[in-house]
Amino acid sequence: MRFMYIVTSPQPMQAPTPALMEAMGKITEREIKAGRMIDNGGLMPLREGARIAIANGKLSVTDGPFVEAKEVIGGYAIFELRDKAEALAMAKEFMQLHLDYMPGWEGICEMRAMIGHGTEMSGDEKAAILAEAIRA
Amino acid sequence: MRFMSIVISSQPMQGPTPALMEAMGKLTEREIKSGRMVDMGGLAPLAQGAHVAIEGGKLRVTDGPFVEAKEVIGGYAIFEFRDKAEALAMAKEFMQLHLDHMPGWEGTCELRPMIGHGVDMKCGEALQSAQLA
Repeated sequence: MRFMYIVTSPQPMQAPTPALMEAMGKITEREIKAGRMIDNGGLMPLREGARIAIANGKLSVTDGPFVEAKEVIGGYAIFELRDKAEALAMAKEFMQLHLDYMPGWEGICEMRAMIGHGTEMSGDEKAAILAEAIRA
Repeated sequence: MRFMSIVISSQPMQGPTPALMEAMGKLTEREIKSGRMVDMGGLAPLAQGAHVAIEGGKLRVTDGPFVEAKEVIGGYAIFEFRDKAEALAMAKEFMQLHLDHMPGWEGTCELRPMIGHGVDMKCGEALQSAQLA
């Protein structure tokens, strides 16, 4: 099963500390050698990017920088793993590095199964999601 | 310059309509042939995923499903473009397909340059980001 990890943080975007870069480098090397890591990378701050939104039946383009502070995606990784349990263990290990080598940093690693590669969205799942959303 | 585009929506997650799948398929084929598209994919609903957070100096794991309705990432694509203008044009074309083939859908495509591949985050930019926030 293929998983994507997306790291977000409400804090002002900072580059990883040298200690964190080194620790992540070691994990990356290990995981690439094991054939588990497919891809990984950092994303430039949102102010270097843009947002294209659809609302009220219209397209609108907002070029960076952005005024409102919100959770910004800092980095991502794609892994090929046996199951969700293995994926969760990897996410925890990865975030533990952030805890160890970037004190004071707060954020979330969102883990998502990637469609295809062993994961499909069934009709039942779609119905359940809609039902949940209607209740909320 | 390499860009990632991430599609986000606060609506209940739905798969693309058949018309949108077909239109995206054509765009994908064109962009792969021209060598501009590096990768793309859809993400399964957050309910099947998890969050691993760091808060107050601790690790916290929250397994799906999630109670709070929030903006959820649906899909992503990675492109190799000449510059941001080219990337923006592609993102607009891609979102126009959503407008045309998935009426009623609302969401955002977030476009971000990828570090490396001709783009580096210098110390100055890091400081500037901190000051803006």
